[in-house]
Amino acid sequence: MDLETNGELRSVEVRSSGNASVITVDGRAVEAMATRLGGRWLLLVAPAAGDAEGRPDGSGAAAATRAFRSYDIAIADQGDGQFTVLVDGRAVEVSVPQLRRGVGRREESSSAGTGPARIVAPMPGRIVKVLVKPGDEVDARQPLVVIEAMKMENELRSPRQGRVAEVTVVEGALVEAKTVLVVVT
Amino acid sequence: MRKILIANRGEIAVRIVRACRDLGLASVAVYSDADRGARHVRMADEACHLGPSPASESYLRIDRILDAARASGADAVHPGYGFLSENAAFTAACRDAGLTFIGPSAEAIELMGSKTAARGAAIAAGVPVVPGTKDFIPITASDADIAVAAHEIGYPIMVKAVAGGGGKGMRTVHVPGDLPGAIRAARSEAGAAFGDSAIYLERRLERPRHVEVQLLADHEGTVLPFVERECSIQRRHQKLVEETPSPSVSPDLRARLAAAAAAVARASRYTNAGTIEFLLDEDGRFYFLEMNTRLQVEHPITEAVTGVDLVEWQIRIARGEPLSLDAGQALLPNGHAIECRIYAEDADAGFLPSPGPVTALRVPAGPGIRDDGGVDAGGEVPIFYDPLISKLIAWGQDRAQAIARLRRALREYEVLGIRTTVPFFTWLLRQPAFAEGAFHTGYLDELLHSRQSRPFSEQDLSLEEVAAMALALELGARAARGETNRSRARLNDSSEHSFVRTHTDRQSAGAGGWKRRARIDALRH
Repeated sequence: MDLETNGELRSVEVRSSGNASVITVDGRAVEAMATRLGGRWLLLVAPAAGDAEGRPDGSGAAAATRAFRSYDIAIADQGDGQFTVLVDGRAVEVSVPQLRRGVGRREESSSAGTGPARIVAPMPGRIVKVLVKPGDEVDARQPLVVIEAMKMENELRSPRQGRVAEVTVVEGALVEAKTVLVVVT
Repeated sequence: MRKILIANRGEIAVRIVRACRDLGLASVAVYSDADRGARHVRMADEACHLGPSPASESYLRIDRILDAARASGADAVHPGYGFLSENAAFTAACRDAGLTFIGPSAEAIELMGSKTAARGAAIAAGVPVVPGTKDFIPITASDADIAVAAHEIGYPIMVKAVAGGGGKGMRTVHVPGDLPGAIRAARSEAGAAFGDSAIYLERRLERPRHVEVQLLADHEGTVLPFVERECSIQRRHQKLVEETPSPSVSPDLRARLAAAAAAVARASRYTNAGTIEFLLDEDGRFYFLEMNTRLQVEHPITEAVTGVDLVEWQIRIARGEPLSLDAGQALLPNGHAIECRIYAEDADAGFLPSPGPVTALRVPAGPGIRDDGGVDAGGEVPIFYDPLISKLIAWGQDRAQAIARLRRALREYEVLGIRTTVPFFTWLLRQPAFAEGAFHTGYLDELLHSRQSRPFSEQDLSLEEVAAMALALELGARAARGETNRSRARLNDSSEHSFVRTHTDRQSAGAGGWKRRARIDALRH
């Protein structure tokens, strides 16, 4: 299985034995113990020993006492294989490709290509203004919709030149993030 | 005074409930549909529903708030900041309804609400103002007349809304040719935002600092100015970080700022808490900017270095008590305090609002740390209001210690479900100019512009960190499937469904496996 963070794909394998686990990341193994505390995790990780490389069971560097690194972790499941992981308070975006339910399920604004461009709400909010109607010809960067949340207005512009095929919202409507608002073909 | 209605929401309503409780007074919260389960409602002794979620149908409804005061038997109203706090009509309506308004008089609010009238009051008190037009620019003034006035002031020029606030109705003009267009744009924006399209001109100072003086004034004419707050860390005219004392203000300048602020307050017969904002230029000259006739968001840093509870004193002044604080002490800061405004905003997406359910929340604590928050885990940040969810305040014996504590606290700060400005502050506190205290009001916008849109949180991960995350994700997924480590067979069966490919080490029953486990167990003791 793989974890994608910071645009990097890391191949990870977990082998558990009772309380302890051996995690192999890109061929390098470390030992760790996890304790669940309510919705969060305490991870004690043995520092990667130099000789652990190539010993996937991580059983090298045996010593009577070793200091484990302590990581305080909380996870928010964003759905569709996306997670926000807090590592000692630091927010890290993690994607697990195996958990994605097929490509193209999430609506994204597409600016390139020749297919229809879907303009989606970047945040939950209220539609303040709808500036186009179906059939309108629009230029690239022409404002289409104004959405407002928390006293901040956001003007959504057309990613390219085209014709408005669909307008799915009316002024005053409350929308969730990622709702398709306008389709430009 | 026995019972105070708090005409506000969020962290400031929570702050005021606490002050009421400290004084043995009862508190009444008001709330909209969206705030039904909000922290301020749960903390207050009583609560009154106002109406639908939009502020215009709830927190801005003077009639509904007065109804709530009557229904609850409140005898005083605290407006907090924002909403109706600087609305003279609301203040007058409270007074007419026989309620004590915890703030200045309607007349003082009215005077200071007009930027040109406030400038006039400062000039009358002998306090310097930024060079500009004496009054608003009549709608009948010709472009040629305006050009002459602008030439006298000198470029670059700011076009500002008379009723302004929050950076709205404001334009910077560098060359005369751009002036008519900027005036039209500012008038239209001001008209939409404040219902008043009047604008005036003011010279734009280069690289100024924003410093402000908090004051308390009682009904016997005593005016008490406090050590200044430095609020130059702003994004698009919105304050993000405030600290006190200012790294650029000497004791001599402090005394002069305090005297100027007190003079303006006295000249306008000001009462209760207020703040006078100044711009400080690179040569140490200061100019009156405006007066805020309410409690400020950033009041806790002043409390941290002076030990004075400003909200408690607002209440005491409103019920007629004279000030009995030491004037010298108010100007002699004990240590240093810094505040970060924690907003529900995704800084990595250009500070895009990030409302929604807060699934997990852990706020920092420990020496020198104060968190003034308005939401709880399991609660929700609504789309309808200001994105401020909490203020994190660090106190230290000196600035360096305050910064170190703030960094520690930001690391402890955990919010899940929504994005916050915590990663942005972690990044900002590492900037050399911040550490040196060498900044001005344009510093942050310039810095953000120059770094393009790289993510604020450090994304590089060590091998150990990736391993820790992977194990937590894997065990979390197992727990979500209701799985435990009960049987090796079950684990094997489920390994196909696991997103982390898990192996139960078939050899772990052998010597190696047991030895490893024994060693780890030993380390736990």
